[in-house]
Amino acid sequence: MTQILNDRTLKALSLILSYPTCELQHAMPEIGAVLSSDTRLTAAARRALRPLVEELAVRDIYDLEEQFVLLFDRSRTLSLNLFEHVHGESRDRGGAMVSLVETYRDGGFDPATSELPDHLPVLLEFLATRPFTEAQDTLADAAHIFEALNARLVRRESLYGAVFACLMQLSGVKGDQEAVAEMLAQTDDDPSDLEALDEVWEESEVVFGPDPNAGCPQVRDMLARMNDPVNPTPLTAAE
Amino acid sequence: MSHLLDRLNFLQSNELEKFSNGHGHVTRENRDWEDTYRNRWRHDKIVRSTHGVNCTGSCSWKIYVKSGIVTWETQQTDYPRTRADLPNHEPRGCARGASYSWYLYSANRVKNPLVRGRLMKIWRKMRETLDPIAAWTKLQADPILRASYVETRGKGGFVRATWDEATEITAAANAYTAKTYGPDRVFGFSPIPAMSMVSYAAGSRYLSLMGGVCMSFYDWYCDLPPASPMTWGEQTDVPESADWYNSGYLLLWGSNVPQTRTPDAHFYTEARYKGTKSAVICPDYSEAAKFGDVWLNAKQGTDAALAMAFGHVILREFHLDRQSEYFEDYTRKYSDFPMLVKLDEKDGKIIPGRFLRADDLDGKLGEDNNPEWKTVAYDETSKAFVAPNGSVGYRWGEDGEWNLEERAHEAETYLKMSLVLEEDHDDVLGVDFPYFGGEAYGQFATDADHPDVLTRNIPVKKIKSAQGEIAVATVFDLFCANYGLDRGLGGDWVTDDFSNDMPGTPAWAEKITGVPADKIAHVAREFADNAEKTNGKSMIIIGAAMNHWFHMDMNYRGVINMLVMCGCVGQSGGGWAHYVGQEKLRPQTGWQPLAFALDWNRPPRHMNSTSAWYAHTDQWRYETLKADEILSPTAPEGDWDISLIDYNIRAERMGWLPSAPQLKTNPLEVAKAAKNAGKEIPAYVAENLKSGNLEMSCEDPDNPANWPRNLFVWRSNLLGSSGKGHEYFLKHLLGTDHGVLGKDLGEDGGQLPKEAKWHKDAPRGKLDLLVTIDFRMSTTAVYSDIVLPTASWYEKDDMNTSDMHPFIHPLQAAVDPAYESKSDWEIFKSIAKKFQEITPGYLDKETDIVALPILHDTPAEIAQDQVKDWKKGECDLIPGKTAPAYVAVERDYTAIYDRFTALGPMLDKLGNGGKGISWDTQEEIDNLTALNGVQLDGAAAGRPKIESAIDACEIILMLAPETNGNVAVKAWKALSKATGREHAHLAEGEHGNKIRFHDIAAQPRKIISSPTWSGIESEKVSYNAGYTNVHELIPWRTLTGRQQLYQDHLWMLAFGEGFMSYRPPVDLKTITKDVQDEGDNLVLNFITPHQKWGIHSTYSDNLLMLTLNRGGPVVWISEVDAKSAGIVDNDWIEVYNANGALTARAVVSQRIKEGTTFMYHAQEKIVNTPGSEKTGHRGGIHNSVTRTVLKPTHMIGGYAQQSYGFNYYGTVGSNRDEFVVIRKMKKVDWLDKEKSWKAPAQEAAK
Repeated sequence: MTQILNDRTLKALSLILSYPTCELQHAMPEIGAVLSSDTRLTAAARRALRPLVEELAVRDIYDLEEQFVLLFDRSRTLSLNLFEHVHGESRDRGGAMVSLVETYRDGGFDPATSELPDHLPVLLEFLATRPFTEAQDTLADAAHIFEALNARLVRRESLYGAVFACLMQLSGVKGDQEAVAEMLAQTDDDPSDLEALDEVWEESEVVFGPDPNAGCPQVRDMLARMNDPVNPTPLTAAE
Repeated sequence: MSHLLDRLNFLQSNELEKFSNGHGHVTRENRDWEDTYRNRWRHDKIVRSTHGVNCTGSCSWKIYVKSGIVTWETQQTDYPRTRADLPNHEPRGCARGASYSWYLYSANRVKNPLVRGRLMKIWRKMRETLDPIAAWTKLQADPILRASYVETRGKGGFVRATWDEATEITAAANAYTAKTYGPDRVFGFSPIPAMSMVSYAAGSRYLSLMGGVCMSFYDWYCDLPPASPMTWGEQTDVPESADWYNSGYLLLWGSNVPQTRTPDAHFYTEARYKGTKSAVICPDYSEAAKFGDVWLNAKQGTDAALAMAFGHVILREFHLDRQSEYFEDYTRKYSDFPMLVKLDEKDGKIIPGRFLRADDLDGKLGEDNNPEWKTVAYDETSKAFVAPNGSVGYRWGEDGEWNLEERAHEAETYLKMSLVLEEDHDDVLGVDFPYFGGEAYGQFATDADHPDVLTRNIPVKKIKSAQGEIAVATVFDLFCANYGLDRGLGGDWVTDDFSNDMPGTPAWAEKITGVPADKIAHVAREFADNAEKTNGKSMIIIGAAMNHWFHMDMNYRGVINMLVMCGCVGQSGGGWAHYVGQEKLRPQTGWQPLAFALDWNRPPRHMNSTSAWYAHTDQWRYETLKADEILSPTAPEGDWDISLIDYNIRAERMGWLPSAPQLKTNPLEVAKAAKNAGKEIPAYVAENLKSGNLEMSCEDPDNPANWPRNLFVWRSNLLGSSGKGHEYFLKHLLGTDHGVLGKDLGEDGGQLPKEAKWHKDAPRGKLDLLVTIDFRMSTTAVYSDIVLPTASWYEKDDMNTSDMHPFIHPLQAAVDPAYESKSDWEIFKSIAKKFQEITPGYLDKETDIVALPILHDTPAEIAQDQVKDWKKGECDLIPGKTAPAYVAVERDYTAIYDRFTALGPMLDKLGNGGKGISWDTQEEIDNLTALNGVQLDGAAAGRPKIESAIDACEIILMLAPETNGNVAVKAWKALSKATGREHAHLAEGEHGNKIRFHDIAAQPRKIISSPTWSGIESEKVSYNAGYTNVHELIPWRTLTGRQQLYQDHLWMLAFGEGFMSYRPPVDLKTITKDVQDEGDNLVLNFITPHQKWGIHSTYSDNLLMLTLNRGGPVVWISEVDAKSAGIVDNDWIEVYNANGALTARAVVSQRIKEGTTFMYHAQEKIVNTPGSEKTGHRGGIHNSVTRTVLKPTHMIGGYAQQSYGFNYYGTVGSNRDEFVVIRKMKKVDWLDKEKSWKAPAQEAAK
C-alpha cells in the first residue's frame, strides 16, 4: 500500500474527513503523527488540527457520528461532494463527475465505493497516489471551496475547520476571493432544528445556457427582490 | 482588361453570404461554443423510465446515461399511435419531470441507512450480550431508554448504520411486536401502487406474510369519491384523457387541467380546436378558467347548490316539459329512476324509506333467491310489479339473470318511470325532504329563509302487503320533487319558474353561489342540448377541489345526477372524469396475489387509514363536530346522539369497517386459547366477544394494548404531505414537540364519547419504531427512528399505469442505486431475510386470526338489509354476517423470506380473480415456472422464483387479464356465467397476446380489455368508464344493479342523504376565543389545491421549481383581504387555528376570491420555513391547521355497494371546511441558532 500512496498527509486528511468509526478512532494517534510532522503545513495549522485529532480519538463514537451526519450528510452548505458547491443541481454536474471518474481511471484506479466521485475523501485518496505537484494543481482548483468550508465551519465553532485550513495551505494558492465571497454570502443551513436547507434554497440561481455563471438576469433580479421581505428580517429572535 | 476597378479590395459584399432568400447568412466566427452543446448532449445509453409521483401523468421518459451517471432526461415520443382522427398522446411530460435527474445527486438524498443516534447506541450496547429480539424486548421494557429516542424524533441526531444493523433492528421490533401485542400492531403505509407497483408490493407482501396491516391511502387522501361506490359500486373508473377529444361539451369543474394535468392538457386544447365548447367552474381565476368559453366563479364549497340548479333546469326542459327520447330511454334502462321506494310514516309525517323489495310483496314475486335484495318496479307491459334483472339479489346464489336486459327473468318488461298521470297513481301524498341550506354559517349564509323540512306532493301507488297497506313512489318522481320541480300536483316548495327563490332553482343557487341565474340556466341547457344531440357526449372533468369538502358526496352526486339525466355515462366523449390521484392500477388482478401474498395465505389485513389515524393520533379527542349538527331533521328513530368515533366503533363491531388492531388480545394468543378450548375459531371469538372476555381494540384506542407499535412508511411523505392533523400525529403518535393549540374534550368540558373509553391523560408516543424508506430526507424521514435509503426512479425496475392513458410502461434501473441505497423490493427482501434469520424459536408456525369486514363484490356483501347491533342485543353475533368474520390464517414465521421470494401454492388451488369473478390460472403458473425458474431449496422449493423486481413484474404481467390475452378471455367467460351474456368477443384475437417486461421496456403497451374495468380498449372508442355496462348490459355492482341515484340505507336516510341536496360547509369551530389573538381579525377559508411547481411534496424542495415559484411556502390571498390585515405581497405571514400554525410568504393576487386563502398542497417543512410565533416551533405544513373529521355515512357496510373494500369505501380525510386566522408576522425567526430554538421549544412543551 505504501508504494501506491505517495502522500501520507493527503491520505490522513482523507481519513479524517471520513465517517468516524472505531477503527478510525484507534488509528487517530498514527494519523495525528503524520499530520504533525508534515512541514508543508505551518506550525499554527498543525496546532489547530490537534483538538480535532484528539476529539476523534477519544470522544464517544455516537456523538462523533451524529456530528458528522449533521454536518456533512445533512447540511447542504457543508457537503463533502465538491460539485455540490460548483455545479449545485445544474445539469453540468453529471458531466463533471464523468470527467472525474475518467481522471481516476487514467490514474490507474477504479472507484470502489458507494460514494460519488466528487466526494472529497475519495479525491484526496486519489491525490495521495499522485505526485505532489499534480495534486497541488487539483487542490488549487478547489481552493475557494476549502476556504468557504473553513469559514463556515469556524463560524459554527466546529473543529473540522482546521482540516480545510490545511488543505488551503497544501493547495499553495489563495482561493479566488470573488468565488469565496459568493459562497460565503449564502446563509448556512442548520439541520439541527428541522434539518432546514432554508435560505440556501432561495439564494442559488437557475443557470441556463453554455456559461453556467451567466445565470438568467431576470430571475436573479426577481430573486433578489424577494429576498427583501417588506417586513424586514431581524437576525435573531432575541432582537 | 483589368478587373481592378471592378473588384473590391477592402470590403466584401454580404450578398454572397446569404441564402434561403436572404433568411440565412453565413458567418465566420469561432464555433468552439458548439462543443459545449456537443458535450452536454453526449451519452452512452438511453433507458426508459418514469416518475412514480402520483401525478397521474404517468409519462414515459428517456434517461441519458454517461459513464454510469445520469446526465439528463427528455420526454419519450414513441407511444403507439392512436387511431385515425384522434390526436396522439405524446409528448407527455412537464417541467417537474424534466427536473427529476437533479434529485439523484442532490445533497438532500439519503445516502446511508440512518438510525437515531441514541437508539443506535443503546442497541449496540445491548447487542453485545443479547440476541436481537431480547435486545429489543429489554429496550421496550425500560421506559427511560424508550423515551430517550422517542422524544428526540424530528430533532436530528442520526448516525449511519449498516444495512445489516438497520434491518436487524426492524425485524427484531416486528417479531417482538407480533409476539407481544400481535402482528396487527405492525402497520405499513404506502400509497398509490399504480405509480410503482412492485415497490408497493414489496412492503405489502412482507407485511401480509407476517400478518401486518396494509393501510389504505385513496380514501385517506380524500381522492376517493364515496359517491362513486354509492352510485356505481365502483371505486373510480374514468375516461382516458384522449376521450376528451371525442366530447362535444367539456365542463371543467374545480379541475385545473393545464396546471395539474399538464401532459394531458393538449387533448383539451385540441378538442377546443375541433369546436368543442367548454365551461369552467372554479372560484379563482385559474389557468383553466382562461380556456373556458364561460367561467362560472362559484363560491368555494357551494358547488352542490350549483349542481342542483343545473339539474333543475335539465329536468324541466329535457325530462318534463319536453321529454328527450334518448334521455328517457337511457334513464329507464341504466338508472334507478323506475325503481319503487316505500314511503314511511313517522309522527304523522311521510318520508322516503327503503327501496321496495320482492320480499315486501305477497308471494315475493316468486323469488326464492335473495328476495330481500331484489328491487321492484312497475312494468307497463304486464301492468304488474316486477323484480327486474340485474339487482344485487340476482348476482349471488343464481346464474344468468344478472344483466341489464329489459326483462325480469324470462318476461320482457317496460318499466314505468313516473306515476304522475291521473290513471297511474292511487293518491298524491305530501312527502318530507330535509333542507340543509339554512344551516349555512358565516360567509356561506344568505338572507333566504327556508325551513329545514320541505313537504312536496308525490304521486303514489298503494299496495297491500304482509305489512299492511304501503305507499310507494318511483325514484324519478321523488327525484324531481327533490329538485323543487312543479309537476302540476299542487303543494308547496315546487315551482316552474327559474327566477323563483326556492331550493333547487337557478335564482336560489345564485344567492348561494354568486353565479348569475341566467348563466346557470344557459350552461345547463347547452350541456344537456349537446348530450341529447350526440347521445351523451357531454363530459364533466372534476377533481379534488370538489371532493375535499366534508359534504363531498353532495357535490359529486349533484354532478353524477346531471350526467345520468343526460345519458352521458358509458358513452365515449361523455361522463364523469374524476382525476384525483393515480388510482388506476390496470393489471390489478395480477398484482394482488403478489402484493398481498394471496399465493400463501388469505385474507390479508387491510385497514382504512382515515379511521385508523383518527383514532391512533387521538384526533377524536378534539372532535368539535357533533352528530346532531349533521343529522337530518327527517331522521328515522334511532340512537343518533353519539360521537363520530362512536359511529366508527359501531361500524367496526357490525363488520362494516375493518379494525387494526383488532382485539385487545393478541390474535396469536386468541388462536391458541381457542385451540385449547377445543373450539372453532369463529365460534370461540363470537362467544368471548359476547361475554366480554375479548374486547375490540377500537373501543379503547388509548389503551397501550391497542396502540400501533411499528410503522413503515415507504413511497410516501405521510407527515409532510398527506397527514391531516399533522400536529396531532406529532403529539400523540410520535410523542415529540408539536404545535397543537386547542384543548381536548376533557379539558374543554365537551361531550365525551359513549362507546370509546376516555382516559383523562392522552398517551404521547404510541409508536415504538417508525421506519421510513425514501430517497430524500423528507419531513417524514426527519421524524423517523430509522431511515432507509431507497433507489430513485431511475435506479429500479418497476411498472407504472394511470387512468389518463391506457398504456403500461416501466421504471428501469438506468444506473445502479447511488450511495448505499437499494430498491424497495431489495429492502423488504432483506428485512424478510433478517426476520427469517432471527425468529425461529421465538415465533414459529403460528395460527393467526384475521378479522375480516364484510367485503364488496363477494357473496357476503348482502349481509345486512337491516341495521342491527349485536352488542345492543338487536341480533345474535354471527361472524361474517352481523359482525366481522374471524378467519384463521396459518403463518410460518420461519419462512417469511422463502415465501417472499417464491409464488405460493394457493393460486393453484383457489385460482385468481377480482371484483366478484374468478378463474382457474394453473396455465399461467406453469408458464411462470418456466419463465422465472423455480426455487431449488428452502420452504418454497419447487415454486416459481420471485427474486428480482423483474421477476415480480413478470408475475403481475402473466396473471393479469390486462396484460395476458389468455387470461382476459377466461375472465370474460367467467363474467358471462353471471350475466348469461357472451362477452368474450371483447378480448377476441388476444389469446396469444402476452406482454412481458421487456416488451414494455421497448415501448409502452396498450392494455387488453378486461372485466376488471368498465371501459374497453378498441379501435373504435377511447377508454371510458361504464362503457360495458351500457353496451354489454353488465349491471353496475349496486343494490339495484343500475346507476343508483337514491340511497336507501338507514344511515343515509338518518343523515339526510337519500337524495342529493346542497349542504353548506360544516363549522369545525377551530377559531376559538382561546386561540385567536386580539387584533387578528382576518379569518379565511383554507383551501389546499395542487400546485404548478411540484407534485405533492416532490419537487417542492427542488431548487429549480422553488425558483420558479417563490422559494418556499406561500399562501395566496385576495387583494381585499390582504389590505384589511395590512399585508402586502411577499410579507411573511402566520396562519393558525386550534389545530396548529404555519408560516409562509403572502402572495396577494386578484386571482383569489375574497374569503378564501390557498396554500398549495404539500410544500415541505424542511425548506425555508421560519419559526411560528404562535407555537414557538418551526412553522408547520399545510396540514398543521387541519384535522380529520369522519362522516358516518362513509362507514356503512354489509349493504351491497356500500360494503367495505380496500380503498373502495370507507371514511375519507376531507379538509376544506377548515378556517384559519391570518396575520402578518412581527418578526421572522429562522430558529437556526441553538439558543433561540430551544427556549420557546421548552416553553411550549410544558
